Amino acid sequence: MESPLTDAPTDTRTISVTVNGTRWQGEVEVRKTLADFLREDGGFTGVHVGCEHGVCGACSVLMDGEVVRSCILFAVQADGHEITTVEGLGNEDELSPLQQAFVDHHALQCGFCTPGMLLAAVDLLKHCPDPSEAQVREALSGNLCMCTGYAGIIRAVRAAAPRMKG
Amino acid sequence: MEASSTQWKGRAVPLREDLRFSTGRGTYIDDMKFPDTLHVALLRSVHAHARIREVDISEALAMPGVVCGLTGEDAARMSEPLRSLIPIPVQLDAYCLAYGKVTHVGEPVAAILATSRYLAEDALEKIRVEYEPLPAAVDPEAAMEPDAPLLFESMGTNVMWQDRFDYGDVDEAFGRAARVLKKRFYIQRYSSTALETFGCTAVYDDRREQLTIWSNDQRPGQAMPIVAHSLGLTHSRIRFVTPDVGGGFGNKRKAHYLIIAALLSRLSGGKPVHYLEDRRENLMALIHACNGVMDLEAALDEDGHILGLKVRDIADEGANVLNPTVHSILKLGNLTNCYRIPVVRYEVNSVMTNKCPSGANRGIGKPFMCLAMERMMDHLGRELDMDPIELRRRNLVPPEAMPYTGPSGALIDSGDFAGTLDKLLPLIDYQEFLREQQEARAQGRYIGIGIAIGLEPSTSNASAYMLSSGRRSASGAAEAAMVRVEHDGSILVLLGDVGSGQGHETAAAQIVADELGVAMDGVRVSPFFDSLVTPWLYATGNYSNKFAGTDVGAILGAARKVRDKLLELAAYLLEEPLDNLELAEGCVRARNRHVHRKTLAELAFVAYRDLLSLPPDMEPGLEGRFYYRPDIANVPDENRRVRNQLFASNAAHGVIVEVDPGTGGVTILKYGVVHDCGTVLNPSIVEGLVQGATAHGIGAALFEEFDYDAEGNLKATTFVDYLKPTAVEIPDVRMDHLVTPSPYTPLGMKGVGEGGAIPAPAAICNAVENALAPLGCTFDHLPLTPERVWTEIEKARASK
Repeated sequence: MESPLTDAPTDTRTISVTVNGTRWQGEVEVRKTLADFLREDGGFTGVHVGCEHGVCGACSVLMDGEVVRSCILFAVQADGHEITTVEGLGNEDELSPLQQAFVDHHALQCGFCTPGMLLAAVDLLKHCPDPSEAQVREALSGNLCMCTGYAGIIRAVRAAAPRMKG
Repeated sequence: MEASSTQWKGRAVPLREDLRFSTGRGTYIDDMKFPDTLHVALLRSVHAHARIREVDISEALAMPGVVCGLTGEDAARMSEPLRSLIPIPVQLDAYCLAYGKVTHVGEPVAAILATSRYLAEDALEKIRVEYEPLPAAVDPEAAMEPDAPLLFESMGTNVMWQDRFDYGDVDEAFGRAARVLKKRFYIQRYSSTALETFGCTAVYDDRREQLTIWSNDQRPGQAMPIVAHSLGLTHSRIRFVTPDVGGGFGNKRKAHYLIIAALLSRLSGGKPVHYLEDRRENLMALIHACNGVMDLEAALDEDGHILGLKVRDIADEGANVLNPTVHSILKLGNLTNCYRIPVVRYEVNSVMTNKCPSGANRGIGKPFMCLAMERMMDHLGRELDMDPIELRRRNLVPPEAMPYTGPSGALIDSGDFAGTLDKLLPLIDYQEFLREQQEARAQGRYIGIGIAIGLEPSTSNASAYMLSSGRRSASGAAEAAMVRVEHDGSILVLLGDVGSGQGHETAAAQIVADELGVAMDGVRVSPFFDSLVTPWLYATGNYSNKFAGTDVGAILGAARKVRDKLLELAAYLLEEPLDNLELAEGCVRARNRHVHRKTLAELAFVAYRDLLSLPPDMEPGLEGRFYYRPDIANVPDENRRVRNQLFASNAAHGVIVEVDPGTGGVTILKYGVVHDCGTVLNPSIVEGLVQGATAHGIGAALFEEFDYDAEGNLKATTFVDYLKPTAVEIPDVRMDHLVTPSPYTPLGMKGVGEGGAIPAPAAICNAVENALAPLGCTFDHLPLTPERVWTEIEKARASK
């Protein structure tokens, strides 16, 4: 008798995902993580993989506007959903106010945690447009930064908050 | 020559690399994949110590997507043993894959190459390994015993290096001491765990006979010769490229992986071979800072002056075959910290155990040396019933003694340690705290203050390893750079040390813009190291806090070569005397007639195209390459005294904590750092590094530990059980600076990356002890987890 989990790991399914406003449809292996899918199939290399066990937050993306960890989601779980990666926030010619604040407040050094930090901060500011320092710290506590000691990041998020409203 | 301008140097200009990093457009090693890239997965040892009877990969090779594989036997057949990164006392026959036996949990045993990482990992499950488990040497003191299990039978012992340095007549000093205090300190294994793991991509092009390795290895100058040796290739057939590096802190160097990928790239039919550690592999098998045991004995006179010091150190190297002794050697630089201690005995024990290889981690050995010394100062204060700050003051090397040579020959080139301390106390509201502490204690609250001062020697002098290896090999310190005015007048800078988050592109552009009289926008600094075009030498890389000590000299040297040529060419074309010319606003112009000028683009046109307009004896082109070495590096003298690092920054840390006696939890209420790294090139970079390094020290003090069980199994292999501090735990450090420029670096700059990490563990431990002074708790182990602190509180209460 067939088990309810009928897929072998290497089986594929067709999914349809909208990434940064562009719809993508195709086959993915059912075991492929959302992070690997975004990086390898989508070329969104701003999605960084730091721990592959859902702790460091480097791979954070927005799914339907909510921050999720793409290393512990399967690509098939994103079927029918909208994903925003750091590439969807702004580019070098036109930084989003949050990205500009990260540059202005030296909120990064090696840059590896930065995409995840930015997306976690976008999620925070959506729910809490005028956060206290403690709220920023709490909201970003699921994202590890090994370089900065967080001070610049906290300052940047608070400085960007008024400019991110609406 | 006129002094260069300072239009850009000293300014907190935003970091240009932040633009690509904040848009997710950095190019890290996992982004260096090309069409048809194949992926490596490594089978790793589940035993701390075992003989390998057989490794059978035949079933794995038949799995879907698998291209080929390697065992230790294959590696031994196809490659030469690994050369160590530094000269070491005993050469070990180790290969890129375990051959004959495994010496730690996580050691690579076999490699599988497949069309995806998923398929490669599937295939690992089909590998059969027959092990014969052996007793493991886990505790470093037990590993030194004659009957201990041996990691390397050929050594006949686990002790890689045992030595005694008598710097002065230590027995005489102890003989006349009014008081002697002896204490034992421990430090745990921890690591800075850069957020990006270590990896590489290798491509072997057999038509052109060239091996290209892309890797986030921090020290390509060491890695390339090791790879070349193991593979039997000349250096001229290897191209080594370092892309953006997602944090380093010393950890990212493991030639094993480069060689595995390179060997597989010769079997892959020209397809690129990519390997990247996953986090579990990173935590159990890349690099830990040595755990260690240190006995410290201080002799004092009646007035609290330290007459002499005995240091007996045991550094647990784990199964480190690449650079054992590095922790012991680097402690030579801060054996006496910032204190004028005339004589020292240093007993070294560098011991191999069946644990993850130790190696470079922010500060390398210096955090432990500082921990022991600064904890000792607090113990001495209590012993003498003297304010520990006053005790420190009495022993500091005074500014008028600079440059000061310590008993081990270590050079302190500059500094005002009392001045640093003076600035710290108001920064953390010291007087106010003393009042608050009285009130808090009356209310049953436990708040405490901890002070630690730390010397921060930087820029390693390779000749120090003559002391441990007994032979002359690499010596001195250096870096290389190239500056070129391109055909269109734009400026390109290449630097051997591409950095790993320290803003080298920005910092180098600030220096070159001033030298060549252009706006920073006109200067591009390559974000990549590429051995085909970037000048390099053995010392090339991102380590040892050396940007100020060597990189600045290389950049300046290269820029000045170009500058001199621009001036000479312009003098000829403008028919002006050389000394009436200056570089400004993108031109060479007459000082007294600014319109009499040649733009860099006009000069470049002549230098590259209109060659018959050049002075007849001038070589075409506008390129300067410079290999800079500080001239103060030396070799050990007859008394084995050496400047093992060359330039000394320093920092004073003050931290106020509250301890919850019910849970043992420690909360940081206030943290202050006064840092002195000499001339500041970019205040943003300096402040960022001090804050970040302090966070590393806080992590080591309160959270992080790679603990092993008695069989050598690592008990922390994820970020769930290896705890890194988050934004909730790390406070905003109150920061102030003192500027005592180095007399020996070109711009007076000194290292900045370690001044947070070195004193922080000591400062926090001192603070927790101060908070719990009413209970009389003392701590000799880190990290100060709630469990450890609570246990000591309960013990103290039970004994009352």
